[in-house]
Amino acid sequence: MSAISIAGLTKDYGDVRANDDVTLDVEPGEVFGYLGPNGAGKTTTIRTIMGFQSPTSGTATVLGAPVTDERALVDARERIGYLPANPAFDEEATGREVLDLHASLKGDARRAELLELFDVPVDREIRGYSTGQKQKLGLVQAFMHDPDLLVMDEPTAGLDPLVQRTFNEFVRQEKAAGKTFFLSSHVLSEVRRVCDRIGIIRDGRIVEVASVADVLQRAGKYVRVRVAADVDREDVSLDGVHELTVESVDGGYADLPMATAGGDASDERNADATGTALAELTFTYTGSFDALVDYLDGFHVLELDVEEAPLERVFMRFYDDDETLDVDAETDATAGTEPTRDESTERGDDPMPAGTDAGHGGDA
Amino acid sequence: MFEFARYYGSRRLKGTAVMTAGFAVLVALYVWMFPSISDGIDLDAYVASLPPALQQAFGLQALNTIEGFLAAELYAFGWVLLLGIYFAYAAAGLIADDVDRGRMDMLLSLPVSRSKVLLEKFASILVPLVVLNVVTPVVVYLALLGIDESISVTDLAMVHALAVPYLLVAAGVGVLASVVFDRASVAQRVAAGGFFGFFLLDSVTAGTDVAWLGALSPSRYYDPTAVLVASEYDLQGAGLLLAAAVVLVLASRAYFERKDVA
Repeated sequence: MSAISIAGLTKDYGDVRANDDVTLDVEPGEVFGYLGPNGAGKTTTIRTIMGFQSPTSGTATVLGAPVTDERALVDARERIGYLPANPAFDEEATGREVLDLHASLKGDARRAELLELFDVPVDREIRGYSTGQKQKLGLVQAFMHDPDLLVMDEPTAGLDPLVQRTFNEFVRQEKAAGKTFFLSSHVLSEVRRVCDRIGIIRDGRIVEVASVADVLQRAGKYVRVRVAADVDREDVSLDGVHELTVESVDGGYADLPMATAGGDASDERNADATGTALAELTFTYTGSFDALVDYLDGFHVLELDVEEAPLERVFMRFYDDDETLDVDAETDATAGTEPTRDESTERGDDPMPAGTDAGHGGDA
Repeated sequence: MFEFARYYGSRRLKGTAVMTAGFAVLVALYVWMFPSISDGIDLDAYVASLPPALQQAFGLQALNTIEGFLAAELYAFGWVLLLGIYFAYAAAGLIADDVDRGRMDMLLSLPVSRSKVLLEKFASILVPLVVLNVVTPVVVYLALLGIDESISVTDLAMVHALAVPYLLVAAGVGVLASVVFDRASVAQRVAAGGFFGFFLLDSVTAGTDVAWLGALSPSRYYDPTAVLVASEYDLQGAGLLLAAAVVLVLASRAYFERKDVA
């Protein structure tokens, strides 16, 4: 049985259809990232499955409890930890008083351990808390009764990087202990560290549900390579190259053997001055490494960076109308959105042949 | 059981203590003023010169007796008007304030029913309601000893006992506004203003052709002057008020159980 099962969930606020036919399942023991920009409908889904509002149509169950059945949902909530976006508490109460109230209703077997981990000034009135401290108090109450399922709306918002790391580490640890997570975020690189699968929502509709590994693979690598050659954009014939930019540069390679003209010419924009053509290529690469290495073998390579493509970039693709639903055709579709501006026009009109063996670029 | 009632009730203790002390000072002031006022001014002639609406509004009768004086100055004004508005206002914040400040999601994520949230929050308002009506008569009694006056203990107890259903109706009006409106400031204005409107309805229609309209007003069923001056207890009215309070709370609960929390 799914920990969370959402089927055709629609929430219409009259002026806005905040959720439109949302369908997804969260399996027990997985960490599911619910992603989308602000206003996409993440919070609407979360508040509906928590029973704070009823769906306009469609159904959902949480730990088997239908979200429209209050009695069943109340029982299920004993095993749910919840963190709202921007958690708010009685300003005049201390953190301890709030936790005491929560403890009296759901238990607090892990309170001490969590307070150690997240360090909340529990004896101070909450009115004096910073955003991060309120967030940490929210995390403590969400985990303290050792729930099976955690539903968290932007859990790392307002946390400093160190605490974010603590949180991520804790999530991994809890997942290993069999907990299920449903986390929302608008920052992909954040959830990528902890999630098994992600669902992407946009304008109230689910546009993608996939494993993080899958998305990363489709996302490809971000490649930046600097070669001692004059490269024309049209000459780059390697398959699996997307979003290519080519720039003629003066990279300040004065100390390189072939830059014989000396370093004082390095402030010239055009590589002609040194008698050496330099080009920097950047692209997203979804092909095989072998093909990439073979291709680069034809160049004198000065610098090479190969990184995981930033998920934000992938994210943007999902938000491009033409591609949102066409997941299988992703690679091709992306190729079609390559920037059309020609960034290679900066190169010299009559590049001098380089005094190196890098003259046959693009033939690989 | 009663986790919310305990929590929210205890959060009202400080405010209750301040308010009770304030009323104790007011009682002491009135009682201290009474001998000189009743000697120096012909209060009955003064009252007779006032329009009937005003006489009705503040239960002005036998003002030169301590019973009539307290009924008018302390109870008709302090209890029927001020506390009525206060409890309508305070109860209007019970739900709407948490919704308005984004705290309701956190409460409802706990393994509790909405019914429990609403009923126990309503119960927390009993703290000031009960404390005020238990402590104040004691203060009145002791203060009167100080000026060598006395008052019927039964009447004094009854004027407070009968105030309870009346103030519960005020709180009931408040909690209904609290579930209907998501913004606390709106709920509080509607509840306090509405309750004041009811009070006016009873007094301005007094002695006119539409006096029957006053039957809609809770203050029609709680008359401190009748209790203190004539020892007349409107038990039927109190029963009606109690029933109205129950209806208001149950209606609020039914609405809250079905509504989308904003």
